[in-house]
Amino acid sequence: MSGAGHRGGGVTDFSTYLGPEDTLAGRPAEGGIVGRSGLASGTGKVDGPPKVTGAAVYTADLRLPRMAHAKLLRSPHAHARILAIDAAEALAMPGVLAVLTGADLPGRHGPIPVARDETALAVDKVRYRGEPVACVAAVDEATAREALARVRVDYEPLPAVFTLDEALDPGSPAIHEHLARKAARTGRSPNVLRRVHQSFGDPDAGFAEADLVMEESYFYPGSTHVPLEPHAALAAPEPGGRLRVWTSTQNPHSVHRTIAAVLGLDPAAVRLTKPEVGGGYGGKCDTFVTELCASALALRLGRPVRLALEREEVFYAHRGRHPTRMRVKMGLKADGRITALELEALANGGAYASYGVVTAYYLGVFGTLPYRLDHYRFTATRVYTNLPPCGPKRGHGAIQPRFAIELHLDRMAHALGLDPAEVRLRNAVEPNTVTVNGLRVTSVGLRECVERVVEASGYRDKRGRLGPGRGVGLAASAYMSGALHPTYANEGPHSMVQVKVDRSGRVTILSGTADIGQGSNHMLATVVAERLGIEPADCTVVEADTDLTPVDLGSYSSRVTFMAGNAALQAAERVRKRLVSAVSAELGCDPADLVLRGRRVFVRDEPDRGVDWRRAIALAEAEAGALGAMGSYRPPRIGNRFRRQSVGPSPAYSFTAQVAEVSVDLETGEVRVEHVWCAHDLGRVLHPEIAAGQIEGCVYMGVGEALLEEQAYRDGLLRAPSLLEYRVPTVHETPAIHPILVESHDPEGPFGAKEVGEGPQLGTVPAIAAAIHDATGAWLTAPPYTPDKVLAALRRRGVR
Amino acid sequence: MLPLPRFAWQAPDTLHGLLDAAARPGARILAGGTDLLPSMKHRLHRPSLLVSARRLPELAAIYEDGDDLCIGAFATLRAVRRHPVVRAELPALADACATVATPTIQAMGTLGGNLCLDTRCAFYNQPEGWRQALGGCLKADGDVCHVARKGAGCYAAHSADTVPVLWLLGARARIAGRRGTREVPVSELYDGADGRRWLRLEPGEVLTHVLVPRRGAPVVHHKVRLRASIDYAALLVAVRREGSGARAVISAVGPAPVEVRAARAEELPDLAHARVKPLGTHVVSTAWRRHMVRVAVRRALDACPVP
Amino acid sequence: MSDPTRPGGSPPEPPRSRGPGRGPASEVVASFLVNGEAVRALVPATRTLLEFLRDELGLTGTKHGCDLGDCGACTVLVDGVPRLACLTLVAELEGAAVTTVEGLAADGRLSPIQDALDRHGAAQCGYCTPGIAVNLTALLAEEPHPDDAAIREVLGSNICRCTGYTRILDAAREVAGGGQ
Repeated sequence: MSGAGHRGGGVTDFSTYLGPEDTLAGRPAEGGIVGRSGLASGTGKVDGPPKVTGAAVYTADLRLPRMAHAKLLRSPHAHARILAIDAAEALAMPGVLAVLTGADLPGRHGPIPVARDETALAVDKVRYRGEPVACVAAVDEATAREALARVRVDYEPLPAVFTLDEALDPGSPAIHEHLARKAARTGRSPNVLRRVHQSFGDPDAGFAEADLVMEESYFYPGSTHVPLEPHAALAAPEPGGRLRVWTSTQNPHSVHRTIAAVLGLDPAAVRLTKPEVGGGYGGKCDTFVTELCASALALRLGRPVRLALEREEVFYAHRGRHPTRMRVKMGLKADGRITALELEALANGGAYASYGVVTAYYLGVFGTLPYRLDHYRFTATRVYTNLPPCGPKRGHGAIQPRFAIELHLDRMAHALGLDPAEVRLRNAVEPNTVTVNGLRVTSVGLRECVERVVEASGYRDKRGRLGPGRGVGLAASAYMSGALHPTYANEGPHSMVQVKVDRSGRVTILSGTADIGQGSNHMLATVVAERLGIEPADCTVVEADTDLTPVDLGSYSSRVTFMAGNAALQAAERVRKRLVSAVSAELGCDPADLVLRGRRVFVRDEPDRGVDWRRAIALAEAEAGALGAMGSYRPPRIGNRFRRQSVGPSPAYSFTAQVAEVSVDLETGEVRVEHVWCAHDLGRVLHPEIAAGQIEGCVYMGVGEALLEEQAYRDGLLRAPSLLEYRVPTVHETPAIHPILVESHDPEGPFGAKEVGEGPQLGTVPAIAAAIHDATGAWLTAPPYTPDKVLAALRRRGVR
Repeated sequence: MLPLPRFAWQAPDTLHGLLDAAARPGARILAGGTDLLPSMKHRLHRPSLLVSARRLPELAAIYEDGDDLCIGAFATLRAVRRHPVVRAELPALADACATVATPTIQAMGTLGGNLCLDTRCAFYNQPEGWRQALGGCLKADGDVCHVARKGAGCYAAHSADTVPVLWLLGARARIAGRRGTREVPVSELYDGADGRRWLRLEPGEVLTHVLVPRRGAPVVHHKVRLRASIDYAALLVAVRREGSGARAVISAVGPAPVEVRAARAEELPDLAHARVKPLGTHVVSTAWRRHMVRVAVRRALDACPVP
Repeated sequence: MSDPTRPGGSPPEPPRSRGPGRGPASEVVASFLVNGEAVRALVPATRTLLEFLRDELGLTGTKHGCDLGDCGACTVLVDGVPRLACLTLVAELEGAAVTTVEGLAADGRLSPIQDALDRHGAAQCGYCTPGIAVNLTALLAEEPHPDDAAIREVLGSNICRCTGYTRILDAAREVAGGGQ
């Protein structure tokens, strides 16, 4: 497969669904809202006050009359056939209302249509320790829990598969029977979910051209999201046969469809509402047993049923980072230019597919950006094992290869005696180009990110000069602003937003988006308020209620600001046109001369010639009736450059550079991350505190993965399903984080904005790894950098 | 949420009543509850009666008693670390209290509770279903030790942050029972033979006070952990210099703390390292904890002034 | 602190009496204040304050994060001192004054720390926020101008998974620096 030139591109490659006119890229923020500091203006985000007062309502805070409580019985075996389940004794207990088993909900589901391999409760066999097997509903939680012990399950244990090597062995026991038949034909392992191989340009020629070729192995461990709010769902039957569901999810639309499909209901008969969500980070993208069992039980019992997970169970629900073994081969010219890259990635996905097909693609597709490569090939394989399923965690699929590639690039720069920052700049992808693997790149702020982070951190003065046990490291990265293609085939918009204006002046924004703490509600209010010249606080955001809000695909792939922001902008623009039309008729001025700002509509440069916000609304209503509009966004039809390019491309990419400064206790191996400077090109700053908060959260999560966190197992049993022993960083382990916001004004983003919620995490771990090298001389290729591992590496180097 | 197993609760208002209640079968004293209640939620303990000392404020009092500071067993770790005498004269005890879990836990947990803290293990302090998947362990619901399958008993680790310091300070535990009161040195309160029977209290006995000598050579407390908050110790060390020699008490390595003496202080780190061999009772690497024995003892010694 | 009960086996049936607390009781009565309002609880001895606040008083601002004392999401004040509601028995609260996050804002106005947390963007998902607001309130009540080390020490009691603590620290520093 030949690669497209990275420079040529051609104008037709940039034909877009929304032109710059529609997205307002680079325009001054006329309404005075975009880019305004909440701190300076004395206003928090629209959903801030409920959150600081405890008034915000999360799913487990909801209570309904006659609400029953459900609990889950989980498998003690990693792999076993279920011979029989006897729930009679449990059902006989006073207060027990129902017991569900796999046979009650046999419908297979999964977020990716080509790999629907999961059931609400295990059917016929269990595939990991902790898999839900039965669900008991009772009048209270204590009774439900007590009844679990009286559900008898007979298991026939089966040989289990835990490691990558075991899973790749053609003789390994099949975790999913349907793959065993195929494996028997091909002679391959029955536990490979997906293997993706793509090659672009002529990698062998590229390596031949290089002055230095290096090949090394890396391992990135599994980790889990640890949202502070455990997953919870509440379902209630409604008169007339409809079902209401409230759930803690990032993807209301997907969960809505899945509940209907698994329960055999018309989606129109299900109303799904997302209350506040106490953290997601990718961990609440899938449809979970909570939603399916609460729904099934509510319908069966004719009363509301709540199923809320315990903390331990959140670790089994997992869907976290895939532990990934990687091999990187890279060629570099003596001046630091990358001539070719080859990546092999093997990801241990656990017992079910989840988004694993996408993971396999992401592991490879994101190998190119943020650099300009002429020759690239990868093989990425995602296997099944008898462990809790992995899925999307912040920086999905891109974190692992970026770690390996960045650290590898640093090693090669070191070997060639080059400045790692200079090497990044030399290879930086140019704006308005197409990568060798067909990713259309528009705005690029990478150079500015590298330059500003180097400047702010004093990287060049510090590198190699801080003395033993102290060091700095740098890494660069790129990430997507939403996926070009939806997770299921449909031609509709990816995001739709309705804006309706009340005569009182209050504006209601209805959107299917899911605010999970990232601030999407305030983003929507900001975009609408900016265009209508009002305050975000004038807006009520109604989100994620399938009876009320138009569809949005969900909070994943860092898509919400770009896609829902554009949909909101279009809706606001349509309302604005109505206002401008009516007010210009009233004032007898050219509609193009009107400005909307400060809750007024007035003639540019003549602030006294205008009307206030309510008067403007009254005029618009008088002119053409009800005032409101819908807006939608569908990514540009860029077109696939080759078959199977459906996973990976995005309408825009964010860019990041970061520098970590660490100290390493050479005697104990303890690593302390002192500072992280992180410059992120987010296109345009919509709200500086929220944007910076996303960068800080990304860096924090990266620090956890760098120093402490690992979802580790012993014989398929999680070592530490608790917040005591699965160590997330406390305030004491968290470095001083210095976010730097870089604006590249994306031509298609709303007001030029791109993503900021995931990309900043990609470089944190490799920057820390490079800093540890600077401090100790050791290249550590497998996080987390716990003191035992660091000490062992130091000893190998003879430091201790 | 995790329901607590069924129990009755009682809060006597006399020491006599407290001892009577504590002597009932299945009774346990409820102090701060920060270890007992999580363990009960995990079904590690199912007491039928929790006996509260909340109506006996004198058991939470801290007062000077001659050469001793007398600390009521029910004084919170926060109260102990903030007490002016502790801060001025027993800073190592304040340090030790300040490393327990989190400041909020310190405001709940008590000194007596810390002295009586259950031994801990990566295979024991786990949810009920998790332990069942493994068939239980020697200390709970099973007959296999997953730390040392061929071992002689349970190796669950003594993990009380304040004990090594109190040991070296020469503190005594005052223990009340229906047959009277006795005092034992903290150093004699623990039995290292088995993690199931680590605490030398007779049934019905209650630790009521901790008597800490106010004068004596300074002690240094050193806790090794991966996070500076929340974590139990991966290793606990306290040291004290005595003339040209020194003593260390090392914990979180077995069912009871281990005392190591060196005639010459500089030999203490190596002696400790040779003597103390942590086992796989922690999620944190055993080899690293072993390495840290020498480092932590030496660092504590370096921080410990010569008397 | 008597000899630990051996785990496993079936426990003896607890007595069913409902005394005023001097005798063993499987149900208890406790009178205390919650956010200034008198509450008389008649609950099983096993009832935790977290369950009571959320399920019986409808004060759901106090959050369930781990139920084991590790995360700090359920922090409340008892007589002004931070406590974890998940590890506090209602039985132990006779005569106490409990303050939850709902009790911090007076007359519908955000308290200084709530206001600062809001303006600094310190609440992302907001699930840890109530516990943090309560904990910082106790610190600031005791020491109006705590230094950085004191703020950090207190925040060591609370896990936040969203913010990297940066904006929480900034908000606390702002209030701590006020009036200086």
